[in-house]
Amino acid sequence: MRRLLIALLCLCSPALFAYDDMHMDMPKEPPLGASAAFDSHGRLWIVDAADGHVRLRHSDDDGRTLSAPAIVNSIAEPIYAEGENRPKLVLGLHDDIDISWSQPRAKPWTGFVRFARSRDHGATFSAPLSVHRDRAEITHRFDALAVDGKGRVVIAWIDKRDQEAASQQKKPYLGAAVYFSWSNNGGASFVPERKLIDQSCECCRIALSLTPNGEVAAFFRSIYGDNIRDHAYAVLHVDGRASHADRATFTNWKIEGCPHHGPGLAIGSDGTRHAVWYEAKDKPTIWYGQLQPGHAPTHLLTVANAGASHADIAVHGRTVWIVWNQVSASGYALMLRSSTDGGVHFSAAREIAHSTDAVASPQLLQKRNQPFVAWNTAGGFQLVPIRAAR
Amino acid sequence: MKRALFALVSLLPCAALAASLQPLSAGDVAALVKPPTHGERIIALWALDCAYCEGNLSALATLQRAHPNDIELITVATDSYEQHDMLQMHLKMAQVDNYPARAYTEASPDRLNFLIDPSWGGETPRVLVIRANGSRMGISGELGPAQLQRLH
Repeated sequence: MRRLLIALLCLCSPALFAYDDMHMDMPKEPPLGASAAFDSHGRLWIVDAADGHVRLRHSDDDGRTLSAPAIVNSIAEPIYAEGENRPKLVLGLHDDIDISWSQPRAKPWTGFVRFARSRDHGATFSAPLSVHRDRAEITHRFDALAVDGKGRVVIAWIDKRDQEAASQQKKPYLGAAVYFSWSNNGGASFVPERKLIDQSCECCRIALSLTPNGEVAAFFRSIYGDNIRDHAYAVLHVDGRASHADRATFTNWKIEGCPHHGPGLAIGSDGTRHAVWYEAKDKPTIWYGQLQPGHAPTHLLTVANAGASHADIAVHGRTVWIVWNQVSASGYALMLRSSTDGGVHFSAAREIAHSTDAVASPQLLQKRNQPFVAWNTAGGFQLVPIRAAR
Repeated sequence: MKRALFALVSLLPCAALAASLQPLSAGDVAALVKPPTHGERIIALWALDCAYCEGNLSALATLQRAHPNDIELITVATDSYEQHDMLQMHLKMAQVDNYPARAYTEASPDRLNFLIDPSWGGETPRVLVIRANGSRMGISGELGPAQLQRLH
């Protein structure tokens, strides 16, 4: 009997230890969520997160070599840096470096939106602050960061305070809300947050772009009726005027779930609102369109279908670029379609880079009007130049 | 001694269940989506960042318990296996920690999403039903009663 007992123990333990070992031995690489931007001198800046620190690196040779990281938050804290959540970076007036991120709290799906800035080109950073006045341990996540034409830092995020209040009163409430705030003093403090819209999607990034007059516009996935997850567009006024979001896509994709695909927005100097978004009503589709808030977009185009994800868009003059990740059994292709007539026609899809390693969402950048794609991969950061097709 | 043996034997399933989460890499996908010999396999795809997923997992477990001989239920988290502890906690909260469970090994989910189901863009929850005759059905979003009935 004793022998049987020992045999049973032997059978049981190796299996348990094997799982433990596997868990312990798996190396923890920095998550892939990163953001990049060029400053006015053509220096590339990159933020990501590792070991509880947002870290900032730069490159003077278009990403071939990166500097040693500067630590933004000297005291370590949890940081969202995966999927649609990633540290954000924007160069403000005088090349001030503005950085935001979302900090997970103890409970699932909770977070605080954090902000820090450097006024000395990354030598020192302000102490991180929480942007919102609300300190409830709930969702304030998926921060989106921009600097408006007058140098004001504007941050929008997904916020569940109204969902929590409705839930306590046993009232129905779909999704979350979008809130935003801004700073009139260079990021030293932020004004009390404003609600932009109730019942928006709770797990997709918010896209921001500047309008021709320097205001910040937001494009994000909202909820219409019974879980129709189409997108809304709004200008985030920071001068006391009320901001209002209008429905801007009409795909009628109904899903009681999380798409995990936020949209992209690039407003041209002529005011054209170039946008890309994802829906899967019939099949996975990335769309391009020019937003006409309140009405269906014009110049609708299917950019890509199965295996395509996380598109970004940029514009300069009449040239529009769209990039996205295209997955196949062999790995990830970074794909490009471009237009030279203001988005009326687009070229066929073209592969501009490939990775067998996992990749993050691509981000379009411009250096003195030359386009690049920041592409963070598990094999390392890549800055992919966009060259004219041969 | 007999009592000790009995106690140990009763503990064994719990021990095995508590450690049931296994990594899923690209090389494992073919076996995961291979049609079962009879009945159907329900692959419940879920994510940590998905407030709808736990309810969906629980509903699928209820369905499986109603048809224990015909439905094989496997949960697959699209998050990294590195988040093992958090994933286990959510599986327990959804009361599905007694089913075979996998979690992605890649740092971003898109390739495994595509290999499992090319007609799926990664939205969660997602259920993929694979029947013994090789036919498949995929549904995204939290399942209502009518959709749950369609699964079996």
